Amino acid sequence: MSAEPNFAAIRKGLLEFVVLKIVGAQSVYVPDILRRLAGTEFATQEGTLYPLLSRMRRESLVQYEWQESDAGPPRKYYRLTQDGKSQLATLDQYWKQLNKTLSDIGR
Amino acid sequence: MQRVITVSLNRNPYSFEEDANARLAAYLAEASRTLAGNPDRDEILADLEQAIADQCKRRLAPHQSVITLLELQPALDEIGAVQDPGAGPSAEKTASTGSRPLEQVSEGAWISGVCLGLARYLGIDATLLRVIAFILLLISGGSMVFVYLVLVFLLPFAPLDPSRGTAGKIPLKSREFVQYLRGKLGVPA
Repeated sequence: MSAEPNFAAIRKGLLEFVVLKIVGAQSVYVPDILRRLAGTEFATQEGTLYPLLSRMRRESLVQYEWQESDAGPPRKYYRLTQDGKSQLATLDQYWKQLNKTLSDIGR
Repeated sequence: MQRVITVSLNRNPYSFEEDANARLAAYLAEASRTLAGNPDRDEILADLEQAIADQCKRRLAPHQSVITLLELQPALDEIGAVQDPGAGPSAEKTASTGSRPLEQVSEGAWISGVCLGLARYLGIDATLLRVIAFILLLISGGSMVFVYLVLVFLLPFAPLDPSRGTAGKIPLKSREFVQYLRGKLGVPA
């Protein structure tokens, strides 16, 4: 998946941020998210994603609705709640600040 | 020839060959154990069952309807082991080590992880425990082997945790085999 196994903890911590971003862009179901992340540093699997999304739903960051599909059973489409949107905005802000701190430090 | 078992995945019937069924049962049992204490456990398990069903069906050739290990194994590999997300970054994971029940630890194990799990449970050094086990093996005239095998079969496996390192080939094989056996015998893993 990635050449930097040592940074797994960083990626793991950022996964929720990444998922917020994807779900924030448009209403998606899990295979969409996996496809979007495949080939990036954040490539992940259903075994990780479903538990994460369930927790985010419990924290009312995302919600889902069932949508019929042409093939197979209905699918869960996730989108952000109001809380999720403000969480995403906060994280975005925080991330920029972290970046600034990181580039300022050690000069 | 294999017998076919009908399994309900997210409340729809699917046909599995026996050994694929045992593998599936082991995977779901492990997932269920990893998610023990998670309030959304049932819902996550239903999501996973659906994912497994979709993946297996996608891999079946058009004229086939029974799922074998050929379809199931790559499907499970793609879905990956279940990771409990914990309480979220806001609550920062605190002390996930310690106070675990007695179980087998695959990462860093020599055989199946019994000694390692026991050492962690007792809070002592694994090497010390292995030395003690070896001495016991010698003075017992080999009957400790039997005790070890019973423990391998009975002790639950700790969920695989990549942050502990990767498990060796032998512990992984042992883990897979015991879970397969438990599945076959209908023992709750």
